[in-house]
Amino acid sequence: MTHAGAASVDSVEPARWERAADLFLRWREGDGRAMDDLVRLMTPPLWHIVRSYGLDAALAQDVVQTTWLTLVRRHASIVDPQAVSGWLTMCARREAWRVGKQHRLASPTDVESLEPQLPVHESAEQTAAGEDEKHRLWTAVGNLDDRCRHLLRIVAFEDRPDYARIGEDLAMPVGSIGPTRQRCLAKLRALLEGAGWERNEH
Amino acid sequence: MNTDDFSADAALFARLREVWQEADPVPGDLVDRMVAAVAVEDLSREYALLTLVEGSAHAAVRGEADTATLQFSDGETSVLLHVTATEDGARRIDGWVDVPALAIRLVQGAHDWAAEAGEHGRFAFDSIPAGVSQLRIIVRGADGDVHDFRTPRFEV
Repeated sequence: MTHAGAASVDSVEPARWERAADLFLRWREGDGRAMDDLVRLMTPPLWHIVRSYGLDAALAQDVVQTTWLTLVRRHASIVDPQAVSGWLTMCARREAWRVGKQHRLASPTDVESLEPQLPVHESAEQTAAGEDEKHRLWTAVGNLDDRCRHLLRIVAFEDRPDYARIGEDLAMPVGSIGPTRQRCLAKLRALLEGAGWERNEH
Repeated sequence: MNTDDFSADAALFARLREVWQEADPVPGDLVDRMVAAVAVEDLSREYALLTLVEGSAHAAVRGEADTATLQFSDGETSVLLHVTATEDGARRIDGWVDVPALAIRLVQGAHDWAAEAGEHGRFAFDSIPAGVSQLRIIVRGADGDVHDFRTPRFEV
């Protein structure tokens, strides 16, 4: 199984992880502004990865911030600067897991209520095929089990998913992440086909 | 897994990213706040210097009745600090900045304290030991960009 990033498949631009590595190296060499660009590049995927843990928006923002501050404080200990984007997502997953566990112990919340809703547009565009398709995809995502939804969101926003580490973080056996990912994708496709989704996915 | 499967998966993941981005978007100000949080934490960063335009960097307040006012500016961005002594001999610093501040940090050697700007750019540090201090501040400029400043060292 290849670990190449989904984002890099169709693009000629450098993949996100490559841009992240370049910015991180420039920052380490003394270009302070490169850090701003690294934060701008990686905050959105970190947000989605952290939110997949079912944290509310305020906690999720805290976790993203902790991740960045940890990078600034511990950057010297990063052995492979090329892998900085993977280091960031790993750090975010672990912090999200820790905070989520703490929070659930303190105040049990209804996970369902934390699931975001796809905005309902009243505009004419809603009837457009693209919107319709989006709603079908969103409904299918909503019908997946928590574990699949969690795993697919993490993998979707990772450039180069490191299945060994994700397995460790999600307490799944290392060898099972690839197959679990495929099983979750197959479930999603089955739900989509049941809803009349066209097979070409474009 | 063959290439077709792989690109079909990649296409599905791209669609998934789209719906998640729409259903649960990154909060509007999160990126700028993260840039600011990282900038104030980054001691290696070269901040633009605000210069002292009013008050004295050595006019430490001596007692409870004493106050000191300091103003720093670069011609565009201004920060006003009002220093008073508290009952227990510490310092209270009330500040005001005339542009939206994303992060504010008072630094004394290895120690630092964070403040958040409230309405109209007001911020405060409640109980700071007397000593040589420096303010670091990250603002959103009129151009919408994030700018960072530091003051010269001053005594409180």
